Amino acid sequence: MILYLTTLLLLLALAPMLMSFMKALKMWLLFKRPVSLLQGYRDFSKLLTKETIVSQEAGAITRAAPFLVLSPLLVALFFLPPSVKGAYYVSFVDAFTLTGLIALSAFFLMLLGLDSASSFGGMGSSREAFIAALVEPAMVLTIFSVSMMAGDLGVGQAGVNLAEHFPKAHMASYLFAAISFFILLIAENGRIPVDNPETHLELTMVHEAMILDITGVYLAIVETAASVKFVIFASLFASLFMPFGLNLPIPAALGVFVLKLFFVAAAVALVEVNTAKLRLFKVPNLLGIAIVFAFLSLITFYVLGA
Amino acid sequence: MFVFDTLSLVFVFLILLGVVPNLFYTFGYLPHIERKAHFLIHYITFILSMLGVVTAGNALMFLLFWELMSLTSWQLILTEAKEKSTIDAARFYFFMTHFGFVFLLLFFLIVTDGDLEAGFGAMHGVAHAFAYPTLLFFFLILGFLSKAGAVPLHVWLPYAHPAAPSPVSALMSGVMLKVAIYGMFRFLFDVLYPWPMEWGVLILVIGALSSLIGVLYALSEHDIKALLANHSIENIGIILIGFGMGMIFDALHLDKLATFAFIAALFHTFNHMSFKSLLFMGAGSVLHETHTKNIEKYGGLMKTMPVTALTFLLASVSISALPPTNGFLSEWMIFQSMLGSHAIDNMSLKLAIPFAVFALALTGGLAIACFVKAYGITFLGLHRSANARHAKEVNRPMQTGMLLMAGVVVSLMLFAPAFIGLFDRALTSLGRSSVYQAIFPDGIWHIHSVGMHGGVVSPLILLAALLLITGLLWFGYKALGVKERIHRTWACGYRTHARTQYSATGFAGPIRRFFNWLYRPEEHFVKETLAGHATKFDRSSYDVHVKPLFERSLYAGTVALANRISYYVYRLAHFEQTRYAAMIFNLMLLVLFSYRIFAHQFSWATFALESVVMIITVKVLIIGEKS
Repeated sequence: MILYLTTLLLLLALAPMLMSFMKALKMWLLFKRPVSLLQGYRDFSKLLTKETIVSQEAGAITRAAPFLVLSPLLVALFFLPPSVKGAYYVSFVDAFTLTGLIALSAFFLMLLGLDSASSFGGMGSSREAFIAALVEPAMVLTIFSVSMMAGDLGVGQAGVNLAEHFPKAHMASYLFAAISFFILLIAENGRIPVDNPETHLELTMVHEAMILDITGVYLAIVETAASVKFVIFASLFASLFMPFGLNLPIPAALGVFVLKLFFVAAAVALVEVNTAKLRLFKVPNLLGIAIVFAFLSLITFYVLGA
Repeated sequence: MFVFDTLSLVFVFLILLGVVPNLFYTFGYLPHIERKAHFLIHYITFILSMLGVVTAGNALMFLLFWELMSLTSWQLILTEAKEKSTIDAARFYFFMTHFGFVFLLLFFLIVTDGDLEAGFGAMHGVAHAFAYPTLLFFFLILGFLSKAGAVPLHVWLPYAHPAAPSPVSALMSGVMLKVAIYGMFRFLFDVLYPWPMEWGVLILVIGALSSLIGVLYALSEHDIKALLANHSIENIGIILIGFGMGMIFDALHLDKLATFAFIAALFHTFNHMSFKSLLFMGAGSVLHETHTKNIEKYGGLMKTMPVTALTFLLASVSISALPPTNGFLSEWMIFQSMLGSHAIDNMSLKLAIPFAVFALALTGGLAIACFVKAYGITFLGLHRSANARHAKEVNRPMQTGMLLMAGVVVSLMLFAPAFIGLFDRALTSLGRSSVYQAIFPDGIWHIHSVGMHGGVVSPLILLAALLLITGLLWFGYKALGVKERIHRTWACGYRTHARTQYSATGFAGPIRRFFNWLYRPEEHFVKETLAGHATKFDRSSYDVHVKPLFERSLYAGTVALANRISYYVYRLAHFEQTRYAAMIFNLMLLVLFSYRIFAHQFSWATFALESVVMIITVKVLIIGEKS
């Protein structure tokens, strides 16, 4: 149990660093002087000391939504697969609950965008709703297919099962599911090519547009939510699609797990540097690829058993 | 005469749950209605007739109450018949509901074998002796699904439900549609029981199409009640997906999975009753205060109507199937039963079901988008019109109605195990094996899927965890003692204004554009430019209207076809009188010839011969020589 809570705290603590790491790696690749890996923590602590400015046009949602954006993600954090062998894990929660919790967080984030009566907020919400609606089917199908290979719908159990019996026989469908999941990771976390996390240009903003009107602690909470969401996806990718290193001794296993997280972050950063942001109406094409791969994964699993 | 078995009682319970909060709401709404006596008589009769339908013990009683239910609801739509569109909607409803009634009547005439007072048990034998059970099945689904509003018989629903006074919309959408679902359960189980797999596939396809089409047209809707009515189509689709999966599993003798899917369908029936009633009540309150159904005229109502806003939010979260609400639980069960499809041996079916999973998941995603739109545009931001500015919270009885219905929503979430137990018992009474033990193998905390390696969900633990963590965060925030300052929204140097907010049209814009091939919207864009400048303008308006595809093609096409046929009949009728006799002669020939098909004396040779005789007589006697 202590191990379980430690890994949770570790994930939570790592979240801002992973975001800074991606930013730093991108800057380094673009020949800029990279930001410090601690920048995320600095931003967070600075935001905590600032006063909160609440829009006079806004209603109760602005005051409530930041908490409701973060708390489902924190709950989801408890249900992730274990990162070391022997650690307690919640075996019974299945992936639908997990996606549901993430959607719940997104639901309140979208309402938050609409509450301050700014046209940017509405724009961000509208785009987020569009992207999220298309992410949902790909997500469910990918989960369906992975759970077939892992032999369990429970996320935690699936991670453990995959680590114990790597699905060598189903390499093709496993790979297809991994591709689909990686696209979803990018889309759900608002990274290039779906959304640019750094810009404040109204033509391209999605996530930033929704949170444009919140400040101080509220902003800190919502930014934390974004980084927690990335950690959730990264550790899901690490546990489900890179299921090795679980059986090492505890410190080594934890080290390998953290390395995997950084590997996922580095992969995302590389994709970000090498692609341009897609036009909003081209995003469905990318998500369409994810959906097709998810279907392919299921079909190869059923028909070829490969 | 009446039956009170578990299935009937479950639906009586459903109707009561839907009606009791509605009574309070209606009491508050009543001063708004001019023809009070007319309204009350039909309202009470409507409720009693719904109770009558679900407890009717023979075909005669069933049809009597069914027709009474249709007629009273038709009159209720006409309560406030000031606009022509209301009268048109009522006429459309009247036509469609009787279209369904004809098929129900045909169904009963066949299965009762003339004895309309025979019990449902007796019908089973007759239906089995009947040579074309699929014909009976089609009569049944045409009859019930035209009432339930499944694709393609859904077109009347977004017109009829919004036209009624709000409490009646809540009853029609929330409760009356479920009576049709009751009919499906009752007659498929009691009369047509061992069904082939194909029927289940058909129901599944209808369900998947209804859910997608319902939510897509809801997204393009600006009339809040029509939006909710389109969501009823979607949710009926979701119920039918569960039902269809149950039928497929049953035909394949996967007994446990079948019962699980039927329980999911019943659970979603209850859930849809609760949150759709609540949503219609909330929409009714908003409409009552702002006197407009146009969602673009609302905005900022959360500040002045907190009770409505809060209950509407609860219902929105629930209908969007977000955890830990009851809507999530039933949709989760339906997903789980579809994921149970990997136990199926039939490969083509196994490959087809992921498409239904896809449809349901896309529906879920679009429903979230739609309810962010409905909630955000209605209750958040600035008031978009003077009507919205002057809105106040509705009167106490209406608030009580909404709060009671919110209580129903919450109790469906909290007492999910008890409800599942109830549905399990209802299905056991229909001769299915119980799966209660398989769903709750270790206590009521976790809901298990009965499929192999199925998932688990624990609503209470989720709810507790969410509340706890949100509470902790909130206390943390309070402990920080942050200073708070109120300031207006930064809008790049301009003042925020009601007109600079995102509109509902704009919100649904990306999705509408993506599904342009389906919507084919009519866009009206007017821009008055200033003194010949191409870019400067002081007035512009953009309006988009989407006419549903089915209405445009199927229904308009049927009308056009009927017009053409009647034109030819009219032309024939204006020839000399001998041709009347010829037409009657031909009609008789047709009836006699087609009787053989029913009497099993069919052979292709005689069919060809008779066809030739028919064609000759038509040519010689009716059309005659070309003049």
